Amino acid sequence: MKSLLQVSSGTARPGAAYMGAAHLGVALAGLISVQTATADQLADIKQKGELVCGVLGTDEPMSFIDPKTRSLVGYDVDLCAAVAKKIGVTPKPRQLAVAARIPELQQGRVDILAATLTHTKEREAVVDFSLNVFVTGQRVMVRRDSGITKVAQLAGKKVVTVKGGTQEPNMRKAVPTVEVVTFETAPQAFVALQQRKAAGFVNDEVSLLDAFGKLGDAQKDYVVLPDSISVEAIALGLRKGEPALKTLVNDALRELEQSGQAQQLFFKWFGPTSRLKYQTRSFKIDSDRI
Amino acid sequence: MPHFDLAAVLTDEFRGWLLRGLLLSLELMATTWLLAVPLATFTALCRLSSLAPARWLGFVLVEGIRNIPLLVQLLFWYFAVPELLPEFVRAWLYEHNAEFICATCGLTLYTAAFMAEDIRSGIRAVPITQLEAARALGFSFLASMRRIVLPQAIRIIVPPLISQSLNLWKNTSVATVIGTAELMYQAQRVETASFRGVETFTLTTIAYLCVSLTITALAVWFQRRFPVRTA
Repeated sequence: MKSLLQVSSGTARPGAAYMGAAHLGVALAGLISVQTATADQLADIKQKGELVCGVLGTDEPMSFIDPKTRSLVGYDVDLCAAVAKKIGVTPKPRQLAVAARIPELQQGRVDILAATLTHTKEREAVVDFSLNVFVTGQRVMVRRDSGITKVAQLAGKKVVTVKGGTQEPNMRKAVPTVEVVTFETAPQAFVALQQRKAAGFVNDEVSLLDAFGKLGDAQKDYVVLPDSISVEAIALGLRKGEPALKTLVNDALRELEQSGQAQQLFFKWFGPTSRLKYQTRSFKIDSDRI
Repeated sequence: MPHFDLAAVLTDEFRGWLLRGLLLSLELMATTWLLAVPLATFTALCRLSSLAPARWLGFVLVEGIRNIPLLVQLLFWYFAVPELLPEFVRAWLYEHNAEFICATCGLTLYTAAFMAEDIRSGIRAVPITQLEAARALGFSFLASMRRIVLPQAIRIIVPPLISQSLNLWKNTSVATVIGTAELMYQAQRVETASFRGVETFTLTTIAYLCVSLTITALAVWFQRRFPVRTA
């Protein structure tokens, strides 16, 4: 973009028309420089004094809006705060749609993604991943009266899930003949299941168990199928080619693990006192293997 | 950012998704159009009727529907309306591509409300004396409409009607929010799978534009071929 800027400022002479062209050049350069940024994103973050984290906000307990305080809270939000603290800036969670996560990161509208982002081989081509911060399976919830007890029985049936995640491809891989209909948010897909618009609702295990927990008395009408359709390693998403930021994020995560705070965070959001009631933590934040 | 590379979203798989999406968008437009035009004509005649209850019905239909955003209406048709239906109707609906049917219902009412106003103003543009003369000669209301007023009104009505069809074409993209697998829905799928947002939406834009421009060309042609004849 530098060349465009030079060309347009080179042609800028006193005269309204040329000034206009120069302004356009500067504006264009400004627009695109957001995408390519400067050499070091970490320095940019320190300079502006805030870390903008893309979170979902519709994915309890990873990130959601607390009805009492009306602010974004959750596991992902706490991780964002921990990373921001390590850098020494203010955390600023910003809500994103599932499908918008990677584009928003690439275009520089958020600094990092803490948005239940699965680390996949395909995504490695476009984003970098931190250490895994959570490991979960993807599972399917069905209505009890459907008589479905195994994922394989969904062949030829309709399932619903959220747009833009790994749920749809994983489901199609598990059961090739399944029909998948996707919605903007997971709660919408869940409503579609409740309204009998589909045989199953696919989602990450935590979100699914949380949704199941919210059903209350209606739990008796639903079953979360025991077999997982995939194992998902969830990580923070970073722009490619930002080694300084990546090292710092991973350091922050390792410190969380070593100090025991990671364990505390897990039990705060997923432990016996939460709706999810996990008794143990089956992973540690220490690798980025998938 | 990776290089702009259209080929990346034109693999057999992705092209298949996009083409299926385009086809479903066209189907959605055609079905909606065929249902909306008669409904709009009926609504316009209601609003012009001498019967007060018919006028009220037309008024409520047009003003109720035109003043609520399409997005809200589609979500309403998909998530709320089926819940109000009797059990067997609902079961039938869910067996038969509820996403497409609900989108068609929502789009039909929305489009018909706008078309009804175009039809009504087209009819009103034909001098009232034409209707009065027809009635004086012993034609019934419907017969004078069919034989005297409508043939003159059609030349006035068709251009704005084509313009509404253009709006309809663009509005089909909103149906993605209720899971209708039209062009926008498939484009988002391709974007998710390919990480090629710029290329995907460039192609999608071109596809929408091609159909839109065809509709616009049709409107221009019609106005040249069948200009309004002043009475």
